[in-house]
Amino acid sequence: MKTHIFAFTLSVVLCLTARAGLKWDQTSIELHPAAADKQAIGHFKYQNTGDKPVRFKSVRTSCGCTAAQTQKEEVPAGEKGEITATFNIGERTGTQVKTVTVETDDPANVTTVLTLKAVIPQQLDITPTFVFWGQGEAPKPKTIVVRAAKDFPVKHLKVTSSSPDFQAKVEETGNGQFKIDVQPQETTRSIASTLTIQPEGSPKIFYATARITTAPAIQ
Amino acid sequence: MVKSLLVRQVLILAALGLVPGIGQAIYFRDKVSWRSPVPASEMVTVTQARAWGENAIWVDARPDSEFARDHVPGALPLNEDRWSELLPQFLAAWSQEKKVVVYCSSQSCNASREVARRLRNEAQLKNVFVLEGGWEEWLRTNRRNLKWLNR
Amino acid sequence: MLNDRRPVVSEMNEPSTLNSQLSTIPQFVWRIADVIVGGVFIYAGAIKVLDPIRFANDIENYKILPWTIGVGLAFYLPWLEIFCGLALILRRLYLGGLTILTALISAFLVATIAAKIRGLDITCGCFGHVSQRWNFSAHLALDLLLLAALILLLFRPGRDFRLA
Repeated sequence: MKTHIFAFTLSVVLCLTARAGLKWDQTSIELHPAAADKQAIGHFKYQNTGDKPVRFKSVRTSCGCTAAQTQKEEVPAGEKGEITATFNIGERTGTQVKTVTVETDDPANVTTVLTLKAVIPQQLDITPTFVFWGQGEAPKPKTIVVRAAKDFPVKHLKVTSSSPDFQAKVEETGNGQFKIDVQPQETTRSIASTLTIQPEGSPKIFYATARITTAPAIQ
Repeated sequence: MVKSLLVRQVLILAALGLVPGIGQAIYFRDKVSWRSPVPASEMVTVTQARAWGENAIWVDARPDSEFARDHVPGALPLNEDRWSELLPQFLAAWSQEKKVVVYCSSQSCNASREVARRLRNEAQLKNVFVLEGGWEEWLRTNRRNLKWLNR
Repeated sequence: MLNDRRPVVSEMNEPSTLNSQLSTIPQFVWRIADVIVGGVFIYAGAIKVLDPIRFANDIENYKILPWTIGVGLAFYLPWLEIFCGLALILRRLYLGGLTILTALISAFLVATIAAKIRGLDITCGCFGHVSQRWNFSAHLALDLLLLAALILLLFRPGRDFRLA
């Protein structure tokens, strides 16, 4: 236990000493991009409160979807600046936490970890996004449940199947929830269809896949 | 007097907690990895995944540019930049008996875990695994095997 | 409580003012305090025992300990809390239980404050995910309250060490 307390205390001491040199306004930013946003950008502002210039040795991001940029390589004493971290939302969902690790030549504060948290709004929750039947399986309908987010009212859902081999029927079950019953005409051939799910009045399109797989279904 | 009593009591309690703690750790041994924050049963090593041979579908969770440069032979791209476009292509190659092995660049990358999570939760696929060490580890194992063959 | 600082003229071994004030509290109140504090820790431990993997992830969020140690603690600490809580209620190994719990809550306080200073987002606490929606000050207040209660119990006057 003693060693743990020691570790905790040590980390606190390290945090406190880390206040010298580059001083960050905040090392953690939470962003709430809009549904249509392609990128989420965090600005990490700093000031060199020490009396010597500080050089950035490296700035690394935790994943390929994040890019970080420094305005300058060296920060003269007293000067302010910022590191911008750009997070490409792509088709990511949920809460994404990405880190930017900044290394400087400031002996009191060699590495700083900046955290960029993006809460990506999810308008529709579709489970499952994939329904399948094994070859020869009875062509019974399978259900996909669609839930709309609270702040995203959906009155009507338009579902189209890219292939006539599958039929999709939408039923509103109330409370912003829908049921999509997908049924194949037959299960003898390996066929697939992309289901396009579009809430009324929304430019955003969601997808689900229906397929007859080659192998017989494992029951 | 009080002090030695105190030390004894602390030690007894500390030991008492250890017994069910170890028991639970053994019970959960398949559900958690002691090396990285992903349950052990959802991770797979390069050697293990290779042994699956044709039964495995390899999924590359890295960005398109990295996939274009090089990837595990036969791997399908499935990243979150173009999820809805790539997912149907992957699902077309998938079948029930196959095991899905998702990888990204290295041990520390998170993309493979995210992709695996979505395949499990959203597409509700079973047998989805994250490759331990990712692409880097795959390359390393490859080099090791080559060296061994050349000897 | 401590503003009563008149010089004590009488014998040296007379109990201090705080102590004498505390000793007027009837024994059953102390017992109730034992049960409440013990119960809180048993509850906190039990929640985490049910989902040690989640607790391990919570520890990981603090970014203080390596994952391996975090996993080990996730299996161990909840049980330790439960046993110490039981020690308080059953009055067996009482002093040991109090000491361990005081150390645990202090360590937790330090970790919480450290996480706050470093700007980490900790969606967790000593009550596992029950406390997920609590804010930082609620966390801190509860921890401080528990710490205060533990310290009071630790220095409770007339405690029989042999019973302990």
